[in-house]
Parts: sequence; structure tokens; C-alpha cells
Amino acid sequence: MFSFKPDRSQYPAPGPDGKLEVDLETGKYLKLWHGPNHPGITGNMSVELTVCGDEVVEGKTHVGYLHRGFEKLMERRTFIQVFPIVCRVCVPEPDFNEYCYAAAVEELAGIEVPEMASWIRTLILEMGRFNSYMMAMGGISGALGLGVVGQWMTYVRDIMLDRFEELTGARIYHMFILPGGVRAHLPEGFEARMEEVLQTAERYLADAENLMFKSSVFKTRTQGVGVIDPALFERFGVTGPNARAGGVAKDVRKDSPYLVYDQLEFTVHTEEASDIYARTLVRYKDLLETIQLIRQILRKMPKEGEVMTNLPNVLHWKIPRGETYIKGESSRGEYGYYLVTDGTGYPRRVNVRGPSYTHAMALLEHLIPGTNISDVAALMVSLHTYPPEIER
Amino acid sequence: MREILYRLKDRYHLGTPTFQRTDLCFVTVRRDEIRAILTELRDMEGFTHLTFLTAVDWIEEQLFQLTYMVNNREANLSLGLRVLLDREDATGDTIHDLWPTAATYQRELREMFGIKFPGSPRVDEEFILEGWTDLPPYRRDFDTLAYSQQTYNDRPGRVTHDPKTHMQKTLYPSYPKGAK
Amino acid sequence: MSLRDVLSPFTAWKHVIDDPVTIKDPFNRPGADRYRGFHQNDMDKCIGCGSCEEICQNAAIDMVPVEGQHAGPGDSGLRPMIDYGRCCWCALCVDVCMTGSLTMSNEYTWVDSDPDAFRFVPGADGKSWDLDVKGYQREDVRRLTGTTRAPMGEMPAEERIGNFCEIVDGFTPEQAVIEADRCVECGLCVATCPAHMDIPDYIAKVRDGDFEGGLRLLYETNPFSQACGRICTHKCETTCAAMHEGDTIAIRWLKRAITDSVPRERYFDLIRKPDVPETGQKIAIIGAGPAGLTTAYDLARAGHKVVVFEALDKPGGMMRYGIPEYRLPYDVLDHEISVIEAMGVEIRCNMRVGKEISIDQLKTAYDAVVLSIGLHQGRSTRVPGSEKAEAAIDLLRRITAGEEVPVPEQVAVIGGGNVAMDIARSMARLQKIIYGTVGVTVTALEELDRFLADREEIEEAQEEGCVIYPARGPQEITVAGDTVTGLRTWKVKAIFDEEGRFAPKYDETDEMIHPAGMVVEAIGQMSDISLLGADLTEQLEWNRGRIMIDSEGQTSEPWLWAAGDVTSGPDVIHAVADGHRVARSVGKMLAAKREKLQ
Repeated sequence: MFSFKPDRSQYPAPGPDGKLEVDLETGKYLKLWHGPNHPGITGNMSVELTVCGDEVVEGKTHVGYLHRGFEKLMERRTFIQVFPIVCRVCVPEPDFNEYCYAAAVEELAGIEVPEMASWIRTLILEMGRFNSYMMAMGGISGALGLGVVGQWMTYVRDIMLDRFEELTGARIYHMFILPGGVRAHLPEGFEARMEEVLQTAERYLADAENLMFKSSVFKTRTQGVGVIDPALFERFGVTGPNARAGGVAKDVRKDSPYLVYDQLEFTVHTEEASDIYARTLVRYKDLLETIQLIRQILRKMPKEGEVMTNLPNVLHWKIPRGETYIKGESSRGEYGYYLVTDGTGYPRRVNVRGPSYTHAMALLEHLIPGTNISDVAALMVSLHTYPPEIER
Repeated sequence: MREILYRLKDRYHLGTPTFQRTDLCFVTVRRDEIRAILTELRDMEGFTHLTFLTAVDWIEEQLFQLTYMVNNREANLSLGLRVLLDREDATGDTIHDLWPTAATYQRELREMFGIKFPGSPRVDEEFILEGWTDLPPYRRDFDTLAYSQQTYNDRPGRVTHDPKTHMQKTLYPSYPKGAK
Repeated sequence: MSLRDVLSPFTAWKHVIDDPVTIKDPFNRPGADRYRGFHQNDMDKCIGCGSCEEICQNAAIDMVPVEGQHAGPGDSGLRPMIDYGRCCWCALCVDVCMTGSLTMSNEYTWVDSDPDAFRFVPGADGKSWDLDVKGYQREDVRRLTGTTRAPMGEMPAEERIGNFCEIVDGFTPEQAVIEADRCVECGLCVATCPAHMDIPDYIAKVRDGDFEGGLRLLYETNPFSQACGRICTHKCETTCAAMHEGDTIAIRWLKRAITDSVPRERYFDLIRKPDVPETGQKIAIIGAGPAGLTTAYDLARAGHKVVVFEALDKPGGMMRYGIPEYRLPYDVLDHEISVIEAMGVEIRCNMRVGKEISIDQLKTAYDAVVLSIGLHQGRSTRVPGSEKAEAAIDLLRRITAGEEVPVPEQVAVIGGGNVAMDIARSMARLQKIIYGTVGVTVTALEELDRFLADREEIEEAQEEGCVIYPARGPQEITVAGDTVTGLRTWKVKAIFDEEGRFAPKYDETDEMIHPAGMVVEAIGQMSDISLLGADLTEQLEWNRGRIMIDSEGQTSEPWLWAAGDVTSGPDVIHAVADGHRVARSVGKMLAAKREKLQ
């Protein structure tokens, strides 16, 4: 079987500032831009690779391809006006931004949210997780040439977007979780249509399992590849499935329950191998768990009740000086908003803590040296990163 | 949370803590003690997870606030440590040796706020911006609206009317408004 | 690596005969029922308040005039034009819409090669989706701006009926801030206010807790802000954007909150006479009511010498002698007038023009004369026995002046306006004090919902025990010897004829006798113009019994202006507006005169 055991001793060691000095003139090394337009890249990001033969000597993450300075834009907007732009920080799972921002504003402004709204928020977050995992499953398969899984997952994600559309009024940027609650109740017959989607998803996932976790190709390309030493987890701020694949049951939903998670039953799945295979498997299991959670939420949620509370006049809404940090467990790990207010009608500072910030920068750059070029895409995708969280 | 702060209080200068929630507290510390406090929190108190590091610009007070958010997962506690830096020639102490991932945060703060972190790896490399020569853009004195107005053109032909003024013009143009 | 792992990927082949899942005709796929697509705007419902523009974080909305929509009461005539190059479909505009006129259709597939086609006025520029029922609309009530008025303390009926103490507590500063928060600052009310006060601006000052700044703003447009904060007819509140889905903003009480929150002595620091040179020109004003004193205030601040001649022994006009104390305490009025006097206005009381001094003397001694004598004579129904009736306005004056008035156990009032309520409630108080019970009957031609009196006046009168009989026309005041015994009324079938002229029709079979020891007529007032003298009356031009004036209040005589109830009416705020108008007109004439002299 294929094995790849690079000998690092032949390359120069990185300097004290972390920089690797290689002499491109020798012809021994080659610079390779992996992205931003590359099927193995999640979103608009690139990795500048220095390779020697087919071995990667160094990788540097480059972001900034979609930087719009969201955090700065928020400082120019009133508290309600921030609400439509937060979701844009993350395309595949925008709802986390809406929830974290709304919860932060509610905490600092002292606003109580109706219980019904908390249930609907939880539902939406799980639906978002479902979609995000679908993208991750499709992404990792795509990165390894299993395009058909990607197509299946895209289809399943699409019919979940239909549910988003009927619930929130939009497919991608839902703009549904306002400070104070959510915009509307579930539409009539929503539960039945959601059940159809979930059953379709389960069918496709069973098929995908055959192509992934039971496939010799997939196993060969992922088992033992891209291993993250669990000892690195804390040093590199690793959270979410990336940590759970290494045996650390980190999950904000359990560790620090928010919304109605303390009323829901679910398992935090872990693996031990901490390789690409384990990370994908953790996501797969968590995805199945999410499907159960959506069912559970729809079953347990109250049937009636207000979804929105009265806000002070948002056209001149001022929030006293204060700061807070709201976090939740997104599909990629700990997601959070740090909100600082100064007594005016505008946020003083909004800082988005996305898991990709550490995963795709410091961690990826640490993992890349010594891998084979052909594994870089799978490694990256297995970290499940969304570049907008890095550059916000 | 309070016990931890009591233990720290003996040896370090802590400001008045803000207990935001039962699981979240903010406290101001001195710059020359931040590394020691973080090390102690990480190694002795179980705050092993650096959640984020960011800055807030209090331009009116000529200060930058660095916020180090650390988390103890077992105890479900988060502690936000504030360090106030003079806004002129602001310099922080690198903690990349405590958490390698901090290097990324410090690189961003260097670029977006202009806060220096001597000794942090690749801290002067461009992070998000390319060829930026203006003020560090996340500083409060960088005016994004003015920048975009200089850089881009507004779509021509747009004009709006204030309801009050419009009604005054159409309904009571001759009334002595504000007669003294 | 097992054989199973090699074979299992081939299971994917089972899908080879599946139908494609692609949507074959994406252009005809309808959006979800609450999809946020292109906007719809109900042109008739929209009031052009601009809240949508205000909340839009993309600056995608412009308020523009559109064909067929005109500015009018409570409608700016503007409508939102949306630039879809900027719109992000967040629907905050729909959520904040004050009337619910703005909604969204579920249409999202429209394409056009002209980018400018994507900037239009929904509802005015017809689109295929204008009548679509589906699409996003607010599921709930309006949550983004308050819909409920802040609470305010008020004396309960049983406590207030035995005295003339002020009924309404007014907002505390804290309550005022809460109420002020609800205002969306559209400014539609400014057009409705006769004096065009800067309502959103002073409400903003309340919100910021800057009551002194608010007071300065008030006095820029209204030197009777304290009185208006209590007894204004507050027509502004009938055009408030908030009324469409919730309580209208308590504009009047917010004004009062400002005036109450500033200590009285501070007024004299905040409202200072501008530093202008004395012109040496003199103006005589006849009548120290709101119109006359506003004119005086403006002219004195412009550097002129102003003397106000008042026939009664205290200034204030109807605000003092018409409006009962429980609505406008006298000390408030005294303070209000002292601020005006601080501008250098001289008020000479007990100077009845035509008696103590003649109008000709004024014409000779002053550069201009302003007639603001109000309406101090009650009109009569002229039904049999009406010579025995009391005039409401006369009774009110006597009560204020502290004169003894007869208080029978039963009183019948004819009229449905504010004056009728004022006298009914005043008499009720006197009855309560003397007899411990209230016996007041109010009859009026109109149905209750068409009464001219303010709604709260009617409600409060009823709470205090006054019995109201709407749609009853007076036929006779019954008399036994010299004493009044009651009022005989018929049911009103119609008040106006087909051409809209006043010609009441009665149902004679439906007769009622309201026993009463006193009948009060409160069906309107007129001016006592005897002071003009025969010559001047002859010279002046008249219009249906009223002195004719031009748009700036000048009569046909170049030295004489008229302001207030005597020409227009019907309330303090109109009088104030008149005063400003006349003051400017007088000022222009005086300036021209000065120029000529130089």
C-alpha cells in the first residue's frame, strides 16, 4: 500500500520568527497557489504552498478575498441595522451570527425573549447545522474525487433550503432571528414537510456511507492522514468536530447549554484517531444526531406562544455601556460574538469568534508541512473552514 | 469565579470585576502582569482555551483595550481580561508562546489597529489587506464612509425628501416659522 | 482492507435510473408564501412618514413625490422609492412600517436588461406582483417601535369632582422619556399644528432628558407652551404616524412635561429677549388673550414698544376666563404671562377700549393697532324662554372672577362643544360642593360621536356624573313665573338639509323635559365689536359678520390688524399661530415705515 514518510532533515529549519527560508533559485522548491479558485478549497481562500517534489514544505494561508470589514460596518449601524448584515459573515451557516448577535444585544439591553422564540431559534440553528454538515460531507468527498456524494449532499441541502425558505422567507441569508425573538411562527404543515426532508436525507446519507466510510479508496486516503495530536488542541484553540475526532468531547451545547439545549437529549460523538477519517465520521454521526434533534425539537416545542417581544423604539435605541460574549456550538466548533457597547445607539465593537480563525490559520499552517500535495485539499476540507469567519 | 479572582488578587493588580453572567466575568489587569496571569490561569486554574484576543478602540480616552478571553471548559467559566494600552504607539506583549494561535490574532491587531506585538511570529506580514497605506482601518478615526465615498461613485440621480420639510414647502410655505 | 470496502462504492449505481432532481423551469417556481421578494406598497394606506427610509441599513430607500399623492393631514405625499441595487431584502422596512402599507411579494425572478428598471416606487410604478397576496408581511403587531402610551397619573372622578384642582398629573420626567421614545420623528404632525411647532425636535429633547433645551425649542414657536401643554386641542395627535397601529404619541403631555420639568425661575434665563436695537415704534394690542400676547411677544422681541389693553382685571383672555381652573391652573397662566412681560410687554388691565380709551386715540398714539378681542358674547338659541337662560361663557367668567353664581340642584346645558363641557363640569363641581351631588344634563344636536368637544372632555364629564343626551334639539326653556323649571327638547332627525345648510329636523313625538333650575346655553360665541365705533365699523370691510382680513391678518385699514378668535378661532394654538402671522405683517409695515423716514 501507498505510504508517505517524508524526511524533514533535508529541508532548512524554520527561523525563530516561524519563517522558512528556501532558495527558489536552486530549482529544488516550487511555489504553488492552492486556491482561491480550486475545488478543494472551501470558499475564497488560498494556501501558498512551498513544495519539494510532491511534498509540502510550507503552507501559508492567505485570506482577504472577500473582506468587507463587517465588524467595522457594524460600528456604523444602529443596533437593529446590524441585524441584516451579521448573517453575511458565514454563508453556509448564517444563523449562528443572527443568534449570537441577537443574544448579545438582548443581554446588554436587558430584553427577555419569549420561550417560543428560543425553540424556533434552536430549530433554525440545527437546520443550519444540517446544511453546513451537508456541505462538509460533499466537500470532503469532492476533495477526494467522490463528486457524486457532493451532488447528493447538495440536493439534500437544497430541499432543506426549501424548508428555510418557507420558515424564514429566504434561502441563504435568512434574516429571521431579530433581537427580541424571531419573525414568525412555523408555517402550517411544516413538520410533515420537514419529516420528508429528513427521511430523504437519511436515505442519501446511507448511500453516502457506502461510498465513504465503507469505501477502500476513502479509507486509504483519509485514515492516518492529517492527524492532529490532541495535545495541540488547547494550544491551537481547536473546538468542535475537529476536537471531538481526537477524543475530546467539546461541545458548547453540552458544556455551556444555551437556548433550550438543556431540555433536549443528544449524544456528543467522539472518535479517537484524530485523522481525516475520524473527523469526517464525527461529522457524519453528528449529522445523524442533528436529524434526530430536529425531530425532537419539533416534537417538544410549545404549540403556541409569542415569538417576539416589544423592543424599545429601534430608530433611536441606545444600549448602556457594557460588554459580553455569547457563544454557541456551530457545525465547525465554538462560534461567538463579543459585543461592546458604549451607551450610544451604535455598537462600539463587534468581534466575531469563528472556529475557522484558528483552524484554517495557525492549525492548518502547522499541519501542512510534510504532507503530500494530493492530501492538502482533503486536510483543509477536513478542518471544515469558512474563510469569511477569518477575515470578517 | 470569585475564588479564582481572590486567589489572583493577592499577587496581581486587578480592577473591579464585572460579573456579566454566572459563567462570564470581565476584569481589567495591568499590562506588565497579563502574561503572568494568563500563564497561571492556563496552568493552575484550568483556563486552557484562549477563546479570542481582540481590541476595542476607546479613542475618546486615548486608549486601546485588549480583551483576552480565556475559558475553563470543565468549570464552564469564561474570563475576559482587559489590558488598557496607551493609544499612542500602542504595544502589547506577545503570548504566542502560551497559545501559538495567538500569533494570528496579534497579526490581525497589528494590521487592523496598528498595535505592535514585538516578537510575535510573522506579525508584520500582511494578513487581510494588500498594499494598505491608510490608517489601520479598524481604528475609530478611520472613516469608512468617507473612504468609500472617495473610492467609489454613488449612483447618479438619487434624491430624497424629508417629509417635514416637504410638507412645509407644499402646505405652508408662507408661515413665519420660528418667528421671534 | 476488506472486499466489502472495495465493492460497497458500487452501490451508487442504483441511482443511475433515478429521475434528475433539477428544477426544470426555475422561472416559474413560486417563492414560499412568506418569501421576501419585491416590495408592494398600498398607496392609500402609506402616509409617507419615511420610517422605512430611516431604518434601511443600505440607504436603499428615497422618499419621493409621486403622481396622484398629495401632501395633506397626516400624509406627506411622499412615497418610498427603492433602489434594488442596494436592497438586501431584510424587510426591516416592512417591520417598522407605521401603517402596515409596505409589504413584500414572493416574486423574485424578475429580470430586466436596464439596471435603472430596478429603482422604482412600489405601488405607484405598476408591477405584475402588486396584487399578489403571498409574500412577506409582518406576522405580529409592530414590535420595533412602541405601540402603547406610557401611563400617566390622573385624579379619579370621585376625588376631582368636589374641587377645582388640576385633574391630570402630567408625565413624570421618567414617564415622559418612555413616551418620547415611541416617536419615529417623521414630522407629519408639524404640518397639522397651526403654529407648526417643532414637535419631533422637542420630543427628541425629552428623550435625551434635555428639558431646558426642549423649553427653548418650544418658545421658538409658542409662547403659550405651558397652556398648550395642558389645554391644546392637540390636532397634531390626529395625524401622528403612531396612531395607525397603536396609541398616538401624547404630544401635548410631552410638551407639558417639558414646561413642568424646568423650574419656573429658570424660564427667565432660558427665554431671553434677543439683543436687538429698540426701534422706537409703538404698537397697541387690544385684548390680552393668546393671540394678542403672542403678537406682543414677537413684536417686543423685535425691539418694538408694545402695550396691551385688557378690559378685564387680569390678562389671559379665554385661557383665564373661559377655561376652568381644573384644566389650566391660574398660577401656570400667571407664570406664562410673566415670561411674556419679561420681554418688555406692558399689559394694562381694566382698560376697556371704547370706554377708558377710544380706538381713535390708539390709532393716533401708536404705529399699529392689533385687535384680538376674542369671542366673549354667548350666542342664544332664541327658543321661547331663552331670555331666562345663562350664557356659558358669561358664567365661566364669573366663576373665575370669584363672583357669586346661582347653583341650582339641577342644571341643563345646551351644546356639545368644549365650552359646554367646561360649564357642565364647573357647575357639577359647584353642585358637589354645595349639595354633595351632581345634577347636570347636557343636550346637543349632534350624535355623541359627532360632538365638537374633545373625546376626553366628554368622557371625563360623564365620569363626573354629567348626563349627556345627544341628538336632542332645544324647543323651549320652561318657566314658572320668574324661575326656570326645565328644558324641553325634541329628538333630532337631521341637522343639515340636502344642500348641507343648517336646518335641524325633529321627531316631535319624541319629547323630553329635562327639569332644571338653570339652563345654560353653550352653542357658540361672538365678538363684542361695539368698541370699534360706528365710523370704523362702516369703513372696515366685513365678511359674513366677521372683520375681513388678508392672509397675514391685516384688515382693510392699513393701521389695523385682527388676530385670534375674532377672525379665525377656535382655540389657543390657532390664536398663537395668528399672533405670529400678524406680528410678522406688522413688523414688515413698521420696517417699511422706518425705511421711509430715513
